[in-house]
Amino acid sequence: MKKKLALVVAPLLALTMLVGCGGNKATTQKGDSTNQAQSADTATAQTGSDVLVFGQGSEPRGLDPAFVDDGESSKVIVNIYEGLLAYAKDSTELEPCLAESWEVSEDGLSYTFKLREGVKFHDGTDFNAEAVKINIDRQLPPLRQEDMPYASFVFADVKDVEVVDTYSVKINLTKKNTAFLANLAMSLAAPIVSPAALEASGGNVNESPVGTGPYKFVEWNPSEDIVLTRNDEYWREPAKTKNIVFKFIPDNSARIVALKNGDVDMIDGIDSTGVAQIEADGNKLYNVAGMNINYMAYNTTRAPFDNVAVRTALTKAINVPELVKALYGDYAELATSILPSFMPGFSEEIKQIAYDAEAAKSELAAAGFNQPIKMIVYNNPRPYNARNKALAESIQSYWSKVGVEVVIEDYDWTTYKDKVIAGDYDVCFYGWIGDNGDPDNFLNLLCDQNAAMNVARLNDETLKEMITEGTSTEKGPERDALYTKAEQYIAELGVWVPISHANSLSAYSPAVQNYSYHPTGNIFFREMYK
Amino acid sequence: MIKYIIKRLLLLIPVLLGVSIIIFAIMRVFSPDPAGIVLGQHATEEKMVEWRAANGLDQPVVTQYVEYMKGVFKGDFGTSYYSKKPVAKEIFSRFPATLELAFCAIIIASVFGMSLGVLSAVKKNSWIDNMSMVLSLVGVSMPIFWLGILLIIFFSGTLGWLPAQGRIETLLRPENVTGFYLIDSLIKGNMESFSSAVRHLVLPSIALAMYSMAIIARMTRSTMLETLSQDYIRTARAKGIVERKVIRKHALSNALIPIVTVIGIQLGSLMGGAVLTETVFAWPGIGKYTVEAIMKSDFPIVQGVVLLVAFIFVMMNLVVDIIYAFLDPRIKYS
Repeated sequence: MKKKLALVVAPLLALTMLVGCGGNKATTQKGDSTNQAQSADTATAQTGSDVLVFGQGSEPRGLDPAFVDDGESSKVIVNIYEGLLAYAKDSTELEPCLAESWEVSEDGLSYTFKLREGVKFHDGTDFNAEAVKINIDRQLPPLRQEDMPYASFVFADVKDVEVVDTYSVKINLTKKNTAFLANLAMSLAAPIVSPAALEASGGNVNESPVGTGPYKFVEWNPSEDIVLTRNDEYWREPAKTKNIVFKFIPDNSARIVALKNGDVDMIDGIDSTGVAQIEADGNKLYNVAGMNINYMAYNTTRAPFDNVAVRTALTKAINVPELVKALYGDYAELATSILPSFMPGFSEEIKQIAYDAEAAKSELAAAGFNQPIKMIVYNNPRPYNARNKALAESIQSYWSKVGVEVVIEDYDWTTYKDKVIAGDYDVCFYGWIGDNGDPDNFLNLLCDQNAAMNVARLNDETLKEMITEGTSTEKGPERDALYTKAEQYIAELGVWVPISHANSLSAYSPAVQNYSYHPTGNIFFREMYK
Repeated sequence: MIKYIIKRLLLLIPVLLGVSIIIFAIMRVFSPDPAGIVLGQHATEEKMVEWRAANGLDQPVVTQYVEYMKGVFKGDFGTSYYSKKPVAKEIFSRFPATLELAFCAIIIASVFGMSLGVLSAVKKNSWIDNMSMVLSLVGVSMPIFWLGILLIIFFSGTLGWLPAQGRIETLLRPENVTGFYLIDSLIKGNMESFSSAVRHLVLPSIALAMYSMAIIARMTRSTMLETLSQDYIRTARAKGIVERKVIRKHALSNALIPIVTVIGIQLGSLMGGAVLTETVFAWPGIGKYTVEAIMKSDFPIVQGVVLLVAFIFVMMNLVVDIIYAFLDPRIKYS
């Protein structure tokens, strides 16, 4: 009998022991408020509808716009908060949002915003000039904290913020910077948080976000999901779907299967291997050009790459359109300029150096070019370029056709960045993910003092002047023309070979209506329903 | 007995010290600089230096380690670089999910593993034996993540029977009492939640159980074969005891000690297997969280999880040793 008992007890004893210790600790994990919200939510669950589920690859870093820098956080943030300005639906053109209008002083150093009246935060407090001031002040010295990743970018030139009256606020800059307006539409740092919530949370609302947006925060289940519910007091027409769930599903194939089964209604972070499956399952793909650039650069501090004739001849030997099609297929667009097509300042008239292998050969001979090229390559996939090694090898083979030898050295991204700073290369690869949709954000990198950004190490006064002029010219066609001119000049310099803009690929169930995915990588749920 | 347990518990200290040194060194040698990841693409060198100083990463590694261990002994495992929440809170909010999965897996592994093992031993060299040993070989050889993806594609994708990811349908989540959804939904008597939780558990549990099941089956088979050839089994049979009783009472009870050892060790290693399973099935436990933390160089989280898993491993071994004494009265600890 004793042995029989032991037989049953043996495997179970081990289990029960751990059940005991795990259970106690688990009870402390969530606050009471989430439980209440949960039960409220469970009521709607019984109907089985009125909820859209979005499957994303990883968990957001946080939900306080001042403390995050990742796309996964940003997708949730844009549905909870709003900024003074917003982007248009399919581009990075600017539109009024919490600010109804604004005026720029003659010297370009003061921006006065007329704020929208009657807007309330989700906690019932009023949105007003004081709220704007508190939000910006906390991201300026001395209150700024070192792990506010975007504070020093978005509010770089802000001197101070003045409350003019309840619904007007004046922001003073230390120097002219037109891109500042675009910064205010960003999903990082710029969205306005309820001052009451900031105070209650000790200055960080990563876990208890309160904004003015179309959705209110309900709960965040660690590693599992985030639940939002409709803000019925929204200042515009309230959202069409009552609940939004963001589910974190790291594995790409599992995410695709979840979409197929209807566990989720839409997903992003799709790579080339998943496309056929998604289409075969009867789901829809949404392919939009991303706000990024993938390019190759010559090191202009090393001879003979300081010679525009040599650079041009070498670039002529590369068939970029063919290469982009072969390497990236539908997952990237050919870059005809540094700026992607949906950004202000983009022009179809910009032409890069065209492929002409014969001319390349004779021009290289004429320039007396006869040395091997040292090319450094990063071998991890980057958001703007998943296949850098393959890209480098393709260019190597184009160049070998015109008799140029290439030595490729590849490194992981961290080491690669050190190599770039060390500067021991003839040719390297780089890219950029745009922040604010303003042309200055892409082009100023090309003449940055920092060698980690300006990888061609170009010090060109004309270009610098053009870029500075852009930052001090008011938004509008005149400014756009300036950037088009700068892009033309960049193309003539032949220092950078723009390769591609990686697309943001997302997929959704055909039942979802009004689906769209913004070029900034955000997804706005207000209009969507199924 | 008590003395023995205390002695074993004291032995925990050098083990955990060793583990902490190794993981501390590995993270600092092989992981990218967290400052760059935390501060993002606009980080200037100055800001990175400032951040490293604020988080003690500018100190020599030995100093960092000493500071860390001082905290650990006071029960402070540091705070996550990203969420800025205490490590203990971050880990324990995800721990019930991992435990729930590990328990289901170990139950599946033990029940099926032992049954297969006993069957194989009794019907040695029959087709049942061959089949179950092939199954064990597959179970041992197949990488968990691959098995997981196959299960998802077949049972979830092709047949559409079971969900591919997560612990439960979001809006059916039971009110939190124990953190175990199966128990919580039963407490509330919400059968809809319970069935959702069970359906979500099936595939990840099978994926996670497969390896352990194979090991347990093989171990059961070999110890059973050995026991079955003992004299006392022949005597029992000679006494005319029913074969079923011979196997259950005389053979299996005596074969149990090595099997229990294996089950105990497997429960520890399931925590490791959970890293892969949780990532594939988007199971919100510490495994998936650790993978994310490694990717982001979140040192305090990784250190915390590794210490916890090492602790569980050592504790499991202790529990197994204690169970020995129950199973075999001849074993006494002093």
